[in-house]
Amino acid sequence: MIKVENLTKIFGNITAVENISFNINESEIFGFLGPNGAGKTTTIRMLSTLISPTSGKITIDERDPGSDGDYIRSITGLLTESPGMYEKISAYDNLDYYCSFYNIPAARRRENIEKYLKMFDLWDRKDDPAGTYSKGMKQKLALSRALIHEPKILFLDEPTAGLDPESAHMVRNFIESLKKEKTTVFLCTHNLEEASNLSDRVCIIKRKIIRIATLAELQNSDKNKRVEIVFKDRAERYARLMEGISEIKDIRIERNKALVIIEKPEDSNPGIIKKLIDNGAGIIYFNEIKATLEEIYLNLIKDEDVK
Amino acid sequence: MKKALIIFRKEIKEIIKNKSIWLPVIIITIIFSIAMPLGFILGSDSVLNDEDTLNFISKVFGSVDDPLRVLIGFMLKQLLIFLLLVPAMVPSLIAPSSIIMEKENNTLEPLLATPIKTSELLLGKMLTALVPSFITSTICFIILTIVVDIAALIKLGYAPLPTVEWVVVAFILSPILSFIITMASIIVSSRTTDIKSAQGIGAMVILPIYLIIGLQLAGIFLLNITYLLIGCLVLLAVCPLVLRLAVKIFDRENILTKWKMKA
Repeated sequence: MIKVENLTKIFGNITAVENISFNINESEIFGFLGPNGAGKTTTIRMLSTLISPTSGKITIDERDPGSDGDYIRSITGLLTESPGMYEKISAYDNLDYYCSFYNIPAARRRENIEKYLKMFDLWDRKDDPAGTYSKGMKQKLALSRALIHEPKILFLDEPTAGLDPESAHMVRNFIESLKKEKTTVFLCTHNLEEASNLSDRVCIIKRKIIRIATLAELQNSDKNKRVEIVFKDRAERYARLMEGISEIKDIRIERNKALVIIEKPEDSNPGIIKKLIDNGAGIIYFNEIKATLEEIYLNLIKDEDVK
Repeated sequence: MKKALIIFRKEIKEIIKNKSIWLPVIIITIIFSIAMPLGFILGSDSVLNDEDTLNFISKVFGSVDDPLRVLIGFMLKQLLIFLLLVPAMVPSLIAPSSIIMEKENNTLEPLLATPIKTSELLLGKMLTALVPSFITSTICFIILTIVVDIAALIKLGYAPLPTVEWVVVAFILSPILSFIITMASIIVSSRTTDIKSAQGIGAMVILPIYLIIGLQLAGIFLLNITYLLIGCLVLLAVCPLVLRLAVKIFDRENILTKWKMKA
């Protein structure tokens, strides 16, 4: 659905995005993560045809944004990081205004406006000026605006920012439900739990792409495979023994628990367990601990900074 | 064109709800088309009792048979120029607010993400400033003509308006001036983030009008049909230049990356 090849954007003497490439499939939720200034918004702007790349190629739904900008804008929806509304006119009129640019018949336009305002619990205040809405309500209204023409591709920049937990939960469920409607979602977020729960794949970027993978792939990389060993007595007693096992790469001890990174755990674990038991260790549990996306993300960004 | 009209309709809806825009327009209309002409005509008798005024008339027009008639004619020429302030001021009130509000409210990016062409957006914004300006100017000219003619008929026994000069100003010079001020306001608005400074800079475009008024009052220059037509031609030549500059500024990427946006 979206194909990006060697995309670069330079503003003056600042390279905002450098040589990034990725493919996004239809109905995929693609998490796009990175620190502030990593080039996320610039990438979204290039993909939504708002700005043109300095070099590289973008293909969206088999079309080139350079020559088919209007078509691409008609099949994409954009929720910007700081979404604004026309404050003096009503929420209904705001949506009707934006929807008017998409050549949607008036009857369907009304249906869609009603559908999304009801879905986001804004219908009762549809005639109130958007300026009287709370931040969370404006965010929901902006999300409705991005969806109002039922786009095939949705670019979401921090969709749950400013929402209360209940609304954020509802928005996340809604984003997940878009998969069934074959909508492709490009999700920029700083909320790593959200990205982890929603994304089919995540792309971590800091000007250049650091990593693109599924959460499982990231968790299964050797660096992120960790094992928690719970002993009957204090783990400190076995510290020296564990340090002597070559497959154990890192040890963190806390009371009766040891958190260790093991090289090729599938092969090494049986031998390690045997060695510990043979040396008198009473093992209660030997569990695989999956790294969270937050831990993986922070490690990758830290490694990138060291480079 | 359809999408430009969608923008225009929405903008007008917003203007109607924003009294800080339409209230000054109404005040300007009342001052220039009712208060000033009534003051000029009703006060013309007492002005003629002033020796300085009589000296001024003889200096500018030489010896005249009917100084009152000459004075009224002269004052109407001043009013004509004052009236040019309406097509100049209305776009300078509307265009900056229409563009800067988009920046202040962060509505430009979502708007540019719709299948709208930047030329349609520019046209929509132009219409938003030009149509109210043209309507206000026309209303002003009509009210003024009626007020002047009624007051002059009662006071002097004749109706001096409309003249050819008035028709040229109302239907040729005013729209041209509105267009130039609109374009200038769009250009200025792209470089600033607050409405007041944009309107302040936009208002500077009005300065040449004050200069003409000053020159007439000093007796150095008196507006006639030849000068008006020359003025129209000069301003017409300026139109494509300002349009070109505004179109250049109104480029999608330019708007998002170079325009001063509110953080």
